[in-house]
Amino acid sequence: MTQRNRVLVAVGILVLVAAVILGLEALERRSTAGADVPAGSVPLYRDGKLVAALAPEDLEGLSPFSFIDAEEGKEQSGWLLRDVIGVHLDPDELDGAAVVRVSSSSREKEAVMTWHEVADPANAVMLDLANRGTLKLVSVMPSLDTRDEWVQDVDRVEVTGP
Amino acid sequence: MKTRYLSTFQLILLALFAALIVVAKIALKLPLKLPGHSGVFWMAIIVVAAGVVPRRGAASLVGLTSGLLAAILGLGDFGALETFVSYLSVGLGTELALMLLGGADRALSGAVVGALGHVAKFVVKWATGALLGAPAGFVALGLARSLASYVIFGALGGLLGALTLAALRRAGFFAYIAEKR
Repeated sequence: MTQRNRVLVAVGILVLVAAVILGLEALERRSTAGADVPAGSVPLYRDGKLVAALAPEDLEGLSPFSFIDAEEGKEQSGWLLRDVIGVHLDPDELDGAAVVRVSSSSREKEAVMTWHEVADPANAVMLDLANRGTLKLVSVMPSLDTRDEWVQDVDRVEVTGP
Repeated sequence: MKTRYLSTFQLILLALFAALIVVAKIALKLPLKLPGHSGVFWMAIIVVAAGVVPRRGAASLVGLTSGLLAAILGLGDFGALETFVSYLSVGLGTELALMLLGGADRALSGAVVGALGHVAKFVVKWATGALLGAPAGFVALGLARSLASYVIFGALGGLLGALTLAALRRAGFFAYIAEKR
């Protein structure tokens, strides 16, 4: 086989891998199209009731936020959780003691905070867009400032209480 | 006397390249908010390693060793096993690409080897997410963007590796290494 053909085969393999991965992802999206919570969106619940399915367009008008994480010195950038929640819930109606629960069913992880903690920008409670295209919850709060404590692949945000 | 497949000198070289990958991953930070941008360093090092020790299995050995080091040091978001497998996959992917292309001496071959090797890591990360039931990407094009980024940075790293090998060859490094072996 000539070198040119070898390169073409290698490029063909790359294209095939990309087609398989993107095809499977598209199938997953199609299988849930029309559902209350479309694939990729993140449901927001208030006292157990579905309020909205957070979608990328919800973030378009929000101010970006970033910080350098102390563990690895990498920049984490995204949107403050208080702003994201504020798109669908009135922040003035939420009491500081209200509980905000952000979870990932695939990672079996969750973070539980009060609205007071979430609303304080000094805590930098933020949703960051991960490499996989999913959201991860990061913060500088002591209980949430390392990779082990972050919640990757977030698929549920819940607000309960006053 | 029976000749060993890899000399002690070559094994030490490969171990140093593996350590260099982990050090580069920790210490070298590009101010880019793009997935897979560390592939520039990563693939350059592994392509150079496979060129300096031109034996089948050299890239895999570097992947295996760097994976063990990275897992022990606690790198990665999703635990030691995922870290180990993703580093190993870069070595295996590069190895297969080198077998297909017959080496990474030329710029184009280096770039393609780098892209294939780096995409192997992306596949592992994606498959891990899929197996664990991770949700579909929040941004519909997130996965395509990540994949394209992995291909581009892997290709750049492979190209850099091929150019480094060419420079080493011109400088007479391989003649020097042949004496040491």
